[in-house]
Amino acid sequence: MLRFEATQLVLRHAGNRPIVSNLGPTTDELWHAGHRDRNFYTYGNMGLCSSIALGMAISTDQQVISLDGDGSLLMNLGTIATIGREQPRNLIVIVWDNEQWGQTGHQPSHTAMGTDLEQVARSCGITNTETVRDLEALESALLTALEKPGPWFIVAKIEEAEYLPVAPIEPEMTLYRFRNSFKD
Amino acid sequence: MNWAETIVQALKDWDTSLIAYVPDISIHQVTGLIDVDPFFHLVSCTREEEAIGVAVGAYATGRNSAVFMQSSGFGNSINALASLCIPARIPIPMFINLRGGPGEFNIAQVAMGRSTRPILDQLGLVHFTLDDEYKMDKIVGGALKLCHANRQPVAVCLTQLLHGGKLA
Repeated sequence: MLRFEATQLVLRHAGNRPIVSNLGPTTDELWHAGHRDRNFYTYGNMGLCSSIALGMAISTDQQVISLDGDGSLLMNLGTIATIGREQPRNLIVIVWDNEQWGQTGHQPSHTAMGTDLEQVARSCGITNTETVRDLEALESALLTALEKPGPWFIVAKIEEAEYLPVAPIEPEMTLYRFRNSFKD
Repeated sequence: MNWAETIVQALKDWDTSLIAYVPDISIHQVTGLIDVDPFFHLVSCTREEEAIGVAVGAYATGRNSAVFMQSSGFGNSINALASLCIPARIPIPMFINLRGGPGEFNIAQVAMGRSTRPILDQLGLVHFTLDDEYKMDKIVGGALKLCHANRQPVAVCLTQLLHGGKLA
């Protein structure tokens, strides 16, 4: 499963739900899949994608989708415990797990060496979890997550591919557009 | 009102209802009040940069937020400020228990405590230091106003002289 086609799949089902994207290719591919006001692109702050999504989920009734990555989440595993502690019913975390730090030279990440992020989530009290390896399974897990209360934690195993061009977006405008979309 | 109640009131005056924090014995005098006040949602985080992320998420949906931490933990939050709050102009008020001042007993707290404000200066972030309660309501309320006007984080540093915490 390629991250870009998986991102397109998520976007097809997301409706107007907020999506937070991890830095680097995940953000770029979300922009290429479909730029919208409810995309909160991140550019830095490695590790904080799902923490940002958690803050959103606590503050809105709408379902919030986090598109995180294995290397980034490994930098901030504690936030999985915080999600488990808070139990936001409207949070869906999807981890694009390519088992490597793709942008820094394709070094194997800990998930290539036995770390199982789904089990980490389960041990933190998140009971709605899946690990998926193809688009069909991802779609099935996502549709269930959109139907049933969370928090949800879906590990999506992906292959690394050629990167798309860097998306032409500015952090200040991202916040401005996103925040304005929550005003009546 | 004592210093802790003054901070709680200022947060309410600025409709700041999501508080993300990492526990600290001195700022517990404030976060303990917040925890039992239904106006607030207090999120206990595992690390200070995570607290910044949670606060940013709240603000992005239109809910004002703030963070509480100790100066040692401020060191854990620098990249979240530098690569998220500053470039996206996100106004997160930070209340920092500033260690390393008069009465400090722990050598491990001194270097980060003493370098917290110089680092804030290097980041270009405004900060205020409170040693006592004199004009405190105006300073805290003014810091929150400035934070939102400038759309950048602002730090309010609370010293051991103010809160009397953890002195040997």
